[in-house]
Amino acid sequence: MIKRLFDWLRQPLGLIAVGITLLAVFSVAAYGISLTQQAPEQPVQFPHQTHVAFGIQCLYCHPGAAKGPSAGIPAQAKCWACHNQIAKTETSLLLAPLKQAVISGKPLEWVPVAQVPDFVQFNHRAHIAAGQNCENCHGDMSKQNVAENPQVFNMGFCLDCHKQVAGDDHEKLVKLVDCGTCHY
Amino acid sequence: MIRPEEIKMSAEETGKWGMVMDQDICTGCQACVVACAMENNITFVGEEDSGYGRSMHWIRIERFWEGEYPEVKMTPNQPMLCQQCGSATCEPVCPAFATVHSQAEQLNLQVYNRCVGTRYCANNCPYQVRSFNWRDYERPEPLSNQFNPDVTVRRRGVMEKCTFCIQRIHKAQDKAKSEGREVVDGEFTTACAQACPASAITFGRVDDPESLVSQLAKKRGHGIKHLEELGTLPNVTYFKGG
Repeated sequence: MIKRLFDWLRQPLGLIAVGITLLAVFSVAAYGISLTQQAPEQPVQFPHQTHVAFGIQCLYCHPGAAKGPSAGIPAQAKCWACHNQIAKTETSLLLAPLKQAVISGKPLEWVPVAQVPDFVQFNHRAHIAAGQNCENCHGDMSKQNVAENPQVFNMGFCLDCHKQVAGDDHEKLVKLVDCGTCHY
Repeated sequence: MIRPEEIKMSAEETGKWGMVMDQDICTGCQACVVACAMENNITFVGEEDSGYGRSMHWIRIERFWEGEYPEVKMTPNQPMLCQQCGSATCEPVCPAFATVHSQAEQLNLQVYNRCVGTRYCANNCPYQVRSFNWRDYERPEPLSNQFNPDVTVRRRGVMEKCTFCIQRIHKAQDKAKSEGREVVDGEFTTACAQACPASAITFGRVDDPESLVSQLAKKRGHGIKHLEELGTLPNVTYFKGG
């Protein structure tokens, strides 16, 4: 039975069938991998590029970054403060969900893009206070539309920077590479 | 093999964070046990698993009896938690380096994402204060809102233990740093010490002679460090019969 199957696969028609199957498996795999590299679907296709171009600072919409662990994602009230003065808000299809959210009072459900696992305790404040800029981790937002994650936040990424910042300062190095600084 | 003179030499060096337990005023009310569970997302394992000895606590109240029944005399209650040993027996046995000594805070850490669950550390702990997540314990909807966001929610197959509320240490350090000052003694405390209605638990810097823990230890005189003879250099001091 198996020998007959192999014989059939060896003839030209069989070889073509094998080729098509391999091609199908490969393209499904490639599509699957490409899906993991895409930014998630957001309630509003928020163009970071446009907002940065207007000269709005990162900390205007994400003020938590300077104060505490979480940078925060703005509620619709913050968007509305500017957008209710902009005539285009009334007509734009892109902004319809924002208008809807303001009228209904239901928050926009933004999908966080830059995330660390639960076992990592990250604090934005300490990083901003140490003089790190947002783009060091989040990429240049003036070149991005809908937020994407420019790099994988793994431990190597964190530690490379921590070691570089500590330099020859032994006390600082001990603190910055200590497991308990991030994992508890 | 550690020689006695070596222990004496290293025993002179103190750790950073320490605790003082006053067994004379401890009423054994278990408030610390509850506060610890709330602060550190410790799960309630239920009756059946508890029967198998799988109950999870980072602090427990030990009580002993003296004499034969019915003429028993209860000894003072003894809150037992991780002693944050300076030379911990749990650390060298971990094959995954999941339990390591923090050089910065002088604490014994448990790195949950490294732990592979061999349970070797718990077997080697002379104080029996480590607990193991035998299962993923579900928390239905309203209960899931009580999780402390500053502490990892551990999953099945991971060892855990008292951290001296390292999240509070970091929070206080972060606050002090943002205000450009040092952490003040008594500015923060652990969940168990905060909850203790009798103030039997005191937490602070043992390397600072001016701190409340150092002052209390000095005032009460000779304290006991449990199983000190093993050379573990515990950072929790017990006082009784003062």
